[in-house]
This record gives sequence, structure tokens and C-alpha cells, in this order.
Amino acid sequence: MTDALQVKGLRKSYGKKEVLKGIDLRVRKGDIFALLGVNGAGKTTMLECIEGLRKYDSGSISVNGSVGIQLQSASLPAYIKGMEAIRLFAKWNRVSADASMLAALGTDSLADKKYREMSTGQKRRLHLALALISNPDIVFLDEPTAGLDVEGRISLHAYIRTLKNLGKTILLASHDMVEVENLCDSIAILKDGLIAFTGTVEELTEKVGTHYNVRIKTSQETKDFEIDNIGSGLMAILKDYQKENTVIQDIQVDRGSLEQHFVKIAREDDR
Amino acid sequence: MNGFLYGAVLQWKLDLRSRTMLITCYAVPLAFFAIMGGVFTSIMPETTDTLIPAMTVFAVSMGALIGLPPSLAEIYRSDIKKAYQANGVPLSLGLAMTNISAFVHLLIMSAVLYLIAPLAFDAKIPDNPGVHFCGVIILIVVSLGISSIIGLAVKNMANTSMFSILIFIPSTMLSGIMFPADLLPKAFGLVGKLFPATWGYALMAENSLTGHNLLPLFAIFIIAVLLCIILLKRVEKR
Repeated sequence: MTDALQVKGLRKSYGKKEVLKGIDLRVRKGDIFALLGVNGAGKTTMLECIEGLRKYDSGSISVNGSVGIQLQSASLPAYIKGMEAIRLFAKWNRVSADASMLAALGTDSLADKKYREMSTGQKRRLHLALALISNPDIVFLDEPTAGLDVEGRISLHAYIRTLKNLGKTILLASHDMVEVENLCDSIAILKDGLIAFTGTVEELTEKVGTHYNVRIKTSQETKDFEIDNIGSGLMAILKDYQKENTVIQDIQVDRGSLEQHFVKIAREDDR
Repeated sequence: MNGFLYGAVLQWKLDLRSRTMLITCYAVPLAFFAIMGGVFTSIMPETTDTLIPAMTVFAVSMGALIGLPPSLAEIYRSDIKKAYQANGVPLSLGLAMTNISAFVHLLIMSAVLYLIAPLAFDAKIPDNPGVHFCGVIILIVVSLGISSIIGLAVKNMANTSMFSILIFIPSTMLSGIMFPADLLPKAFGLVGKLFPATWGYALMAENSLTGHNLLPLFAIFIIAVLLCIILLKRVEKR
């Protein structure tokens, strides 16, 4: 599969502080790709460099296709109405504007609503509509579901999957690990200006998920264990229960969530 | 309608919706006109001769210096400029659209003053309305140049109003619209000559487009344009 995005040796400093220290990254065409990192890791700077919104010091960025960018809140005039923003962006991109873009995102009601009167979730939906107005090949989403309620989040996830099915590449920055785990084909973890991991969630689990989380429910209690070896470790726990003649009602085994793996990588050298 | 024209018309509508522009371009100048027009003409009846130029200078200075900078700061000191960049739109478009919109608002207000001053206070209509409106247009353009500098240069949105007022007060006080400029101490008179309001008022009061009033306005405008280009480049680099 060809790459939608290729970044080589990307460097960016603010004064003496080097924020990006030589980023190498590839995003496959048609993937939903997440960029993860703790606050201050350089996610926004990196995204803005790729999006062309910020100049970088050295390196190269190759984007294979047209780009649509979902901007953050406060990036439209306070008194602009939803449909006016759609029309303005359509004019700028030399495409025809129609209300179906708002309808597709379930935001028809925003057509006559002023930007300052919109909720955070409504603003995000409008910004997504604006990002998609030119039917881009690659869509950049920054915290797409932040501030959305559960219903809004579910419908936006469904819409993002629809975009993927249409063949679009989606690159998103998010703090929501559940969202990333459910939505994304591959991820990159940015740490101290470098890519600490890139691959699929499963590959991350293989790399850092060395422990198994075991939850055993009996009639008296529910207990959590952390073991290194699924065979001998689980067997030892079960033998202890057998000795006590305790009846086990349920056993759950997992290798940890993306959130746990992310925290592990993010804190690896901080200890 | 192309993107530029649509943007300019939209900006005009946004300015109407924004209270700042509505207050500075229409409400305050009209209130000032209603109160001061009455005061001036009753204390000094001869001010009816210069009431239209004086009130026009006040309205233009107020709308341009206090009204425009917040609109510019909203674009260039927030993420709105990213919307321009993300869509491949030059950053100078924001400056152009806000200036066009403010220009139209100020021209409308000047026309309103021209029409109602003779009816309300028996103000003298300028001998040559064409020359008067040429003066109005020149004053608006130069004043918008100065206010564009404020909007682009001030780093903090909250400080924009403070800098605007710091320019607006001496601009109107020393321009000669409140009292004759030749009554001012020499130093104040010299400071007043730095502002377009002084030259614009002289141009309209004399009702003639002569070089001694036009040249300073032209010089101020050129300096303002050069500074705006430098400031825009600084915004682009940021």
C-alpha cells in the first residue's frame, strides 16, 4: 500500500528549546492514524508542521493527496453563522457549497446559528464539515471528539469510519485512548520530540504488554492479579483457589489497555 | 460572487452583528453629533459652517481607530489566521476585507452626518459636495491605515482598545474639531499634525483638495502601508 504521508528528519525549535528532534513517520493510504503523546510532547507542533500551518527548521514532509484540516475551536469569527462559514470555505476552495455537508454531520440546525452561540461539540462538527468541504484525500483531526457527549462521540466515530470506507486517510491527535483503540489502524507515540513507537495497537501490546491482567470473580469477592506468564502464573492462582475450596464464577484475562501501554511508554525513561 | 467579494460582504455583515463596530461606527458618533452639535451651535453659532467636517472627522476617527483594531486582532491574534492558512488563502485577505468593510461603514456614517446636520442644526452644506466626499474618502483610507497598524502590531487583544484610545484622544482633541488648532500650544499643535484627523479636517473645512493638506495625508498613508506590510510578514513568520 502506498503512503499518504511521509515525514523524514523533521526538526523544529522554539528559541533554544528543540520540540521536534528528527521525526520519521509514515502513514499508509486509507488508514486511520493516531498521533499520541502527553501534553508538551510536540503533537500540535508536529501536526501544524505537516498541515503547513507552521514552518519547520529541517527535514522533509511529503503529502500524497489533497488535505483537509479540522481546526480547533476559536478559529472562526464569533458572529459568523454555520452556513456562512460553509459558503466562505467553499468559495475559498472553489467548490460549490450546499447544506448537505451540515446534514451529513447532523448539524443542520447550525446553518443559522452564530459561532459564538454554538456548543463545543457543535463547533467541532462544523469544523469537521469545513475540513471536508473540498473532498480531501487526507483529513487532519485534532481532538475530534473532545467536548462531545456520548451520543455525539458515537455518531462522529461512525462518520470517521465512513470517511475511511470512502478511501480517505485520517490522521488524528487524541487524548482519548478508548477512541484510538476502537478507531485507529495504526498509531505513533510522540515522546520528548521523538517517535517512541509506531505501529498497530496489537504491535504495541506485543512490545510492552508483557504482563497479563487477571480478574477472578468468586461468590465472595472479585480480585485482580498481574502475572508475567499466562500458563504457570494463572495455574498457580487457580491452585490457591482450589486449596481453599472456593468456587470461581468468572475469569477475565487481558494484556492491558492502550492507555496502560501508552503510560508505560510515556513514563519509560522518567523513572 | 468570488471568494474575495463574498468575504468582503460577509465581513461587512459580521461587523454589523458585532457590537464594537456598531457602537464605534454609528452609535457613539451619532450620540456625539446629537449632543455636541447642539452645544457647539448654541454657544458658537459660527460653528455651523464647520459642523459637517468636524462631526465627520470625529466619526471617522472613532470608527477607524476604535472599531477596526479589534476586528484585526480577532483575526491575527487568534486561530482564525489558521483558517486562512489551512485553505491556502493569503493572510493579507483578512486585512483587506476588514478594511473594505470598515470603509463602507464609515462612508455610510459620513453620508448620514452630511444629510442630517443641515436639518438638525442648520449646518452649512459644503460648497462642493464632490470635494467634501473626496476628502472624506481620503481621511477614511488614511485613518484605516493607522488603525491597521494598531490591529496588526498590538500583541495582546486586551491591549488593542488601550492603544486605540491612546491614538484616538489626541487625534481628535488636537485636530481642530473641538477648538481652533491655532489656539493650541505650539507643541500640541505639532503633535496634532502627526494624525490624519488634523489634515483631513483642514481639507474638508477648506473644501479644496490642495497639496498642503493632501501631501501629509499621502505621506502618513505610505508609512502606514509600509508598516502594515512589515507587520503582516511578521505575523506570517510567527
